[in-house]
Amino acid sequence: MSTRVDEMRPAGGNAVKTPIVQIRGLHKSFGQTEVLHGINLDIHQGEHVVLFGPSGSGKSTVLRSINLLEEPTKGSLKVDGVEYGPGFADENLKRGTKLQLRRKVGMVFQQFNLFPHLCALDNVALPQRKAQGKSMSDAREHAAEALRKVGLLERAGHYPSELSGGQQQRVAIARALALDPDVILFDEPTSALDPELVGEVLKSMREVAETGMTIVVVTHEFGFAREIGDLNVFMENGRIVESGPRGFYDNCTTERAKEFLKAVK
Amino acid sequence: MSLFDFDWGLIWDNRGALINGMWTALSVSTVALLISTVVGLLLAVLRNGPRSVSWIAVGYINVFRGVPALVSVIWVYFGLSLVLGISFSVFQAGVIALSMLYSAFLAEIFRSALTAVPHGHTEAGWALGMRTSQIFFSVSLPQAIKIALPNIGSMYIGMVKDTSTFTVIGLLEVVRVTQNLVATTFQPFVLYTAAAIIYVIAAFAIDLVFRLVEGVYVRPPKALLGRAIRARQRRNIDKIVAKTRASSLATAQLFVK
Ligand SMILES: Nc1ncnc2c1ncn2[C@@H]1O[C@H](COP(=O)(O)OP(=O)(O)OP(=O)(O)O)[C@@H](O)[C@H]1O
Ligand SMILES: [Mg+2]
Repeated sequence: MSTRVDEMRPAGGNAVKTPIVQIRGLHKSFGQTEVLHGINLDIHQGEHVVLFGPSGSGKSTVLRSINLLEEPTKGSLKVDGVEYGPGFADENLKRGTKLQLRRKVGMVFQQFNLFPHLCALDNVALPQRKAQGKSMSDAREHAAEALRKVGLLERAGHYPSELSGGQQQRVAIARALALDPDVILFDEPTSALDPELVGEVLKSMREVAETGMTIVVVTHEFGFAREIGDLNVFMENGRIVESGPRGFYDNCTTERAKEFLKAVK
Repeated sequence: MSLFDFDWGLIWDNRGALINGMWTALSVSTVALLISTVVGLLLAVLRNGPRSVSWIAVGYINVFRGVPALVSVIWVYFGLSLVLGISFSVFQAGVIALSMLYSAFLAEIFRSALTAVPHGHTEAGWALGMRTSQIFFSVSLPQAIKIALPNIGSMYIGMVKDTSTFTVIGLLEVVRVTQNLVATTFQPFVLYTAAAIIYVIAAFAIDLVFRLVEGVYVRPPKALLGRAIRARQRRNIDKIVAKTRASSLATAQLFVK
């Protein structure tokens, strides 16, 4: 396993940053079947993390654990030093609620999941009103700004059924961004799109990345992954097999990762 | 005897009484529909909830959708009132009887409508930091109502027809009015034809109203009514868009200079 640069710095030194998301020994079972067998992952402020691996390897489950859409069976999930998972018995940490966690962590889904009865602007405005208690006019103004950032200001009054898949996904990105999250999770954001629409969504994601937003993305777009991945994580069978910094796609060391990358090329 | 031998003029002469009868039927049904909507929704939520509470809803639904309206109203008016020591008016008894039955039907309608709303929308709401109750009222329910509306319309028509049995407790609805008229005019064929026509007209009207309301829920708004209701919101959105556009242009020009 390749080592991250800042982990090599002496402990206690000024340069050591505490990760914004810290996952330790995370297990997840659905009924009797365990699908995650102890995941360890550190995500630092402003870092862009790519999760990849074969279907069923547990990428979505890891991602969905970070905002507790899946509740870990065992292990620790810390965000900003606050424990949101089951944690460990010997630790006596500050614990947070699901709601508090989700107000720090945004998510964009493969299926967009826009609310079809609301226009683009109100899709972006609604969560701000409900989760942040903003007034309708404040929320809408902020929403318009978020739509402008993804290039959809002129579509503000359109309903999801009047938007292309790529546009819908960009609205979903604006919706997550408008809540000013600390981290934003993307679960295969381009997998449900026609090939010609993938580019515009990747462009919006790239722009989000350039603002210094902390990003975790599950993707099969390896061109994009190479470009933004500060930390690249290969998963298989519910485990992290190997992870590494930029250049990982050409320098990975395990047979499994090499085989997988060769197969998807 | 040909159709022309009947005194069809009786219908016109007694139109006031017949319309009043329908008015009563519609009043009882409308109040009962409002109550059944609220109770039905509660039952639907309970029904979709954990096993520890869902059995209550399952039990209620299975019992009450099997009871005929006639039995229900007699049970309320002569039975329940005795047990509770309250004497209900015929109007109240009718409302209670219908509400008991139709809450069960509406519960089933709402349950399947809520199930038809993709779970992904709820997950998105959670991921966006919304509470489950906020998601229910702002995301799931508006979509479920649109899905349920045509069925709710049919239920409402069913309610109006069921009020015809309330003649047994003396509610002055269409059938009771008709019976009273027949007793003095001895023209059952004419008057019951009139009664039938009035029910059919009411059903058409209800259907029309529900179609209009359904149109309001269509996205993007298409029907005239839907567009009219959205017009203010539309203007507000256009204003905000124009403002944001202007401010972003201003910033862009700042950079150019
Ligand atoms: N709700 C669930 N109930 C039972 N099993 C589940 C559930 N969700 C996921 N699993 C199982 O957990 C394992 C990991 O699933 P996950 O969706 O995380 O994989 P993935 O890496 O995201 O795959 P894909 O690339 O197909 O999206 C799979 O074996 C899957 O069948
Ligand atoms: Mg997945």
